[in-house]
Amino acid sequence: MTWPAAAPDFTNPDLGTTEAPGRVAKRREDLADHMASARSSLWRAGIRPRPRPRETLLLGLAALTLLVGWVSLASFRAGRLSTGDLGPLLTYLGILMAIHVTFIISGRRMDQILLPVTAMLGGLSLLLMSRLPQDLVVQTIAGTRFQLAELQLLWLGIGFVVLAALAILVRQDGWLRYYKYTWAAVGIVLLLLVFVLGQEVNGARLSVTIGPFTGQPSELLKVILVVFLAAYLADNRALLARQSTRIWRLNVPPLPYLLPMLAMWGIALAVVIVQRDLGTALLLFTVFLTLLYVATRRFSYVALGTVLFLVGAFVLYHLFGHVRTRVDIWLDPYADPLGAGYQVIRALYAFGRGGILGTGLGAGLPQAGSIPAIPAIHTDFVFTGLAEELGMLGGVAICGLYLVIAERGLRIAARAGDEFQTLLATGLTLVIVIQAALIIGGNLKLVPLTGITLPFVSYGGSSMLSNAIVIGLLLALSDRGLGRVVPPPVRSRSAREAAAVPVREAAPRDLRMDAE
Amino acid sequence: MTLPSGGLPSGASAPGIGTALLRVGLALVIVYSGLVLGMGWWQVAQAGPLTNDPRNPLVLAAERNAPRGRIVDSRGQVLAMSVKQPGADPLRRYPHPAMAPIVGYKSLLFGTGGLENTYDGQLTGFQQLGPGDELLRKFRSDPYDPSELHLSVDVRLQEAALRAFGNDRGAVVAIEPKTGRILALVSNPTYDPNQLSDPATARAYLDTLRADKASPLLNRATQGRYVPGSVFKMVTAIAALDSGSTTPETTYADQPRQYQTGFRVAGFDVHDAPRTVQLDHPLNFYEATEVSCNIYFAHAGLDAGPANYVAAAARLGFGAPIPFDLPTATSQVTGGGGPYGGFQDKVELANAAYGQGEVLVTPLQMALVAESIADGGTMMAPTLVDKLVSENGNVQTVDPHVMSQVMSGTTAFEITKAMERAVNGPFAAGYAGGAAVPGVLTAGKSGTAQLADGKRPHSWFIGFAPAGDPQIAIAVIAENAGPGSQHAVPIGGQLMQQYLQLAGGG
Repeated sequence: MTWPAAAPDFTNPDLGTTEAPGRVAKRREDLADHMASARSSLWRAGIRPRPRPRETLLLGLAALTLLVGWVSLASFRAGRLSTGDLGPLLTYLGILMAIHVTFIISGRRMDQILLPVTAMLGGLSLLLMSRLPQDLVVQTIAGTRFQLAELQLLWLGIGFVVLAALAILVRQDGWLRYYKYTWAAVGIVLLLLVFVLGQEVNGARLSVTIGPFTGQPSELLKVILVVFLAAYLADNRALLARQSTRIWRLNVPPLPYLLPMLAMWGIALAVVIVQRDLGTALLLFTVFLTLLYVATRRFSYVALGTVLFLVGAFVLYHLFGHVRTRVDIWLDPYADPLGAGYQVIRALYAFGRGGILGTGLGAGLPQAGSIPAIPAIHTDFVFTGLAEELGMLGGVAICGLYLVIAERGLRIAARAGDEFQTLLATGLTLVIVIQAALIIGGNLKLVPLTGITLPFVSYGGSSMLSNAIVIGLLLALSDRGLGRVVPPPVRSRSAREAAAVPVREAAPRDLRMDAE
Repeated sequence: MTLPSGGLPSGASAPGIGTALLRVGLALVIVYSGLVLGMGWWQVAQAGPLTNDPRNPLVLAAERNAPRGRIVDSRGQVLAMSVKQPGADPLRRYPHPAMAPIVGYKSLLFGTGGLENTYDGQLTGFQQLGPGDELLRKFRSDPYDPSELHLSVDVRLQEAALRAFGNDRGAVVAIEPKTGRILALVSNPTYDPNQLSDPATARAYLDTLRADKASPLLNRATQGRYVPGSVFKMVTAIAALDSGSTTPETTYADQPRQYQTGFRVAGFDVHDAPRTVQLDHPLNFYEATEVSCNIYFAHAGLDAGPANYVAAAARLGFGAPIPFDLPTATSQVTGGGGPYGGFQDKVELANAAYGQGEVLVTPLQMALVAESIADGGTMMAPTLVDKLVSENGNVQTVDPHVMSQVMSGTTAFEITKAMERAVNGPFAAGYAGGAAVPGVLTAGKSGTAQLADGKRPHSWFIGFAPAGDPQIAIAVIAENAGPGSQHAVPIGGQLMQQYLQLAGGG
C-alpha cells in the first residue's frame, strides 16, 4: 500500500476535470490571455494572481462560525440578542482576509485547507480569551495597558503575519537544509539561555525575560530541532536504513549511527531536568522517533526508542520530585484534592459539566461566582474550557481540526520534492498534532498533565509565533515550486561560481504541470 | 508521481515512504480516537457522577451565582430558603430548626449536610438534564434551573415529636405504610442549621456542637444503632410465623415452669421480666406478644433456626445500609461470622430472639419493620421527597416503590392481631397499652432494652394505626429513659393520634 499517487490536487483548479490535456492547456492559455489583458500591469510587475476558491469558501465558513459564536457569547452576557463589541473579531477576520488576498495575489500554489483550519483554531482562542476574566494577563506595552483578549489578538495578528510572510517568501530551503549544525547550535544555545536566565513558574523553568517581553525558548526549540532532524536524517537515511547489527533479537543500526538518537535522548532528558518541562521533552522525543521511522521505515528504532524512553522515565521518576509529582497527580488526583491534584480535578468536573452539548458559550465555569476558575485555564486548560462550553461535540470538532492539519501535513510530506522536504513536512506536522494530543490527553487525565500549550488556542506569544512558523513553512513546502539550491560549501572554483548564482532545480511551473 | 526514493535500496521488508506516512497518519488517528474516547468517558459516562460529586466545588460556585431552590414540607411550609443579602453571598435560612435531621444545612464555610447535600445538584439547578432539555437550556439567559424540593414530612408532626421528647435523647421515625413516605424523622437533641449557615456564627457554633457530649450532629434516626429489646420480638415473629416453624396457636408446655426456673439454653438461662399475670398456662403467640414473654420468643427463635432468622432479617433490610436519601447505618441481628448460621451459638440466637444478644438497630429500621407489618407484608422503600419542581416548571415525581416482600399477608395479619392485643388486651396497661389512640384500633409493641454496665434501659415502641387501615407506622426510642411503657409508648400513641387528627382535619 502506498500513498495515493494521484491524490487530488486541491491547490490546482485545473486538475480534477475530465478534459483532455490538450484542451486543458488550451483553456489555460485562454484564461491566461484574459488575465493578461485585464491585469497587464500586474503581469508586467511579475505578479500572477491565482484564485483560491477552497480557501475562500472555508475561510467564509470559519468566519461565519466564529461570528455565530461571538454573537452567542455576547447575547448570553447581555441577556438579550446582542452582537457585543465586534471589534476584536472583525480585526481578526480582517487580518485573515488580507492574508487570503495576499495569497491569491502571490500566485503560489499552496495548500488551501491549512489556513482556514488554523484560522478557526485561532478564532476559537479569541472567543475563549474574550470570555475569560480579562485580568488573567495584563501587560503594559509602550505605555498602553493590554488585557487578555487584546494581547491574544496581538499575538494572533503577529502570528498570522509571520505565517503569511513565510508562506509567501520562502522559495527555497537551502537556508534550512545546509545549516543543520548551525540550527542545532542555536537550539542548544536556547536551552542554555533558559538554564542561565530562566525563571521558574509552577515548578517549570520555561520562560526567559528580555526587556518587556517574556518568551518560552522551548517553543522555538521544537521547530529548530525538527529542521535539524529532517536535515540530518535526509543525509544519513540510507546508512541508517541499510546497515544493521544484531543485538539479541533486534536488528539495530551500527552504534555510531545511533549516536544522534542518544544525543536526542540526552536533549530530551536535559529539557526535563533543566527546564523541568516534561511536555516538551515527551513531544520532542515522540517527533524524533516518528521521523526516524519515516526516514528508515524500521520499527526496531521505535522499539529501541521506546525502551530508552521507559528507562529514562523510570530514572527520572525516581530521581526528580517534580516528575514524581506530575505522575502521582495523574494516577490519583484525589490524594491531594486541594493541592497538587486541584487543577486536574477541577478540569474533570468541568468536562462532566459540559456533557455532550456543553453549557453554551459564556455559561461555563470561570464565571460561576467568586470561586476561582481552573488555574491556567487560558494556557494549559484551554481545551477543558472549550470542552465545557462547547461540549463533547465541540471537543471532537477541535480534535478533528488537528487531524485535518495532520492529513494536510502528511499529504504535503508525501508529495514533497525530496527526502528533506518530506521529513521536514512530516516533522512540522507532528510537532503541532502530537503537541495538541499530549495536552488534550493531559486535560482528560489520559496521560500525565504537562505544561505545553494547545497550538493556536492557548494564550501566549511564543507558542503562537512558533506554531505560526510551522504552518508557514508547511504552506511554503506545499507549493511544489519550492526549489533547491546547490550546496554552498564548495571546494572547487567552478562549484563556487555555481553557488554564486543559485540554480533552481525545480522545473518551470508549466512544464512540471504537464509532466503530471 | 514523484515520491522520493533517495538512494535507498528497496529492501523486501522496507515499506515505501508513502506507506510509512500513511502508517503515521493512522497512528495519529488512533491517538485522537483515544482522546475522543476519553472525552466520551468524562463527558458522557461520568458526567452525572462528576456533576453530583459532593466534592465538586462548582456546585458551591453555582450556588453563589444562582438562587438555590427552596425546601417545603407536605403542606408547602417553607423549611429552607435562600435570602439575598446586599453585597454578600445569599444566606440559607431555616424557619423550622426541628427539621435539621432531615433538611440538614447549607453552610458557606462547611458545605452541606442532610437533604441539602443529597439534592445539592437539583437545588442549585446544576443537575444534568436530558439532552433535549440541555439543548433548550442553551437558549436561556440563565443556565441554572433550581428545583424546589417537596417533602413528605409534616412539620407539625415533626415539631410535636420534638416537644414530646423534652430533654430526653432519642429518635422518632414515622412512615406512611402504603407508600413508604416518611412523615416525621426526629433526632433529639438536634442543632440549629441557621447558625451553621451564617458565616458569622458557624465556626464557633460547630465547635460547640462537636464538644457537646449528647452528639447533636448525629442523626439518631438513621445512624444511631441501639439495642432494640422487646420490639425486636416482632422480627422473631416474622421469621417464625413466615417460615411456618411456629403458628399463632403454638404453645410451649415448659414455658410456665421456665418462668420460675429460667429457660436453659446451652448453659445460659433465659428469664422473663417479672410479671403478675398470665402465669398459669402456656401462652400462645398473641398472649406472649401482649405480655412480652422472652421465653416464648426464645423458643420461637430457636425453632425457626438461624437460617430462617437471618433470611427474614435480610428481607427487612438488616445487614446493609438501607437505601435512603440520608446516610444510614447498618442494622444487625448478629455480629456475624459465627459457626451457628452466623450466630456464635444457640445462646446468641435465643437472646437475639427477644432483642438482646448482638442485635443493633436503627430507629429507621424498626419503623420499617412496623411499616411492613402494617402494609400486609410488603416493605415500601422509605422516601423523603415527593416531588421536585424546577423553576422552569419541570416536575419530577418520586413514585412509591416496593423495597422487598418481607412476609406473607397471613403472617402480617397474625402479627397485626398480636400487636393489637399488645395495645388493647386485658393486660396491656403494663406494656403497650399507653399507645392506644382513642377511637382507633391501634397496634403496637413496647420494648425495654437492657444495657450493659448498669445503664438505664432504652425505652422503645413500634406500632401503627388504625390497625385495620394503617395511615401511620412509627418507631420511637428514648435513650436510657427506662421501661418502654412509661416513655416511648405514650410518645408513640400521642404522635399517631396527632397525625390522624391532622390528616383527618386536613
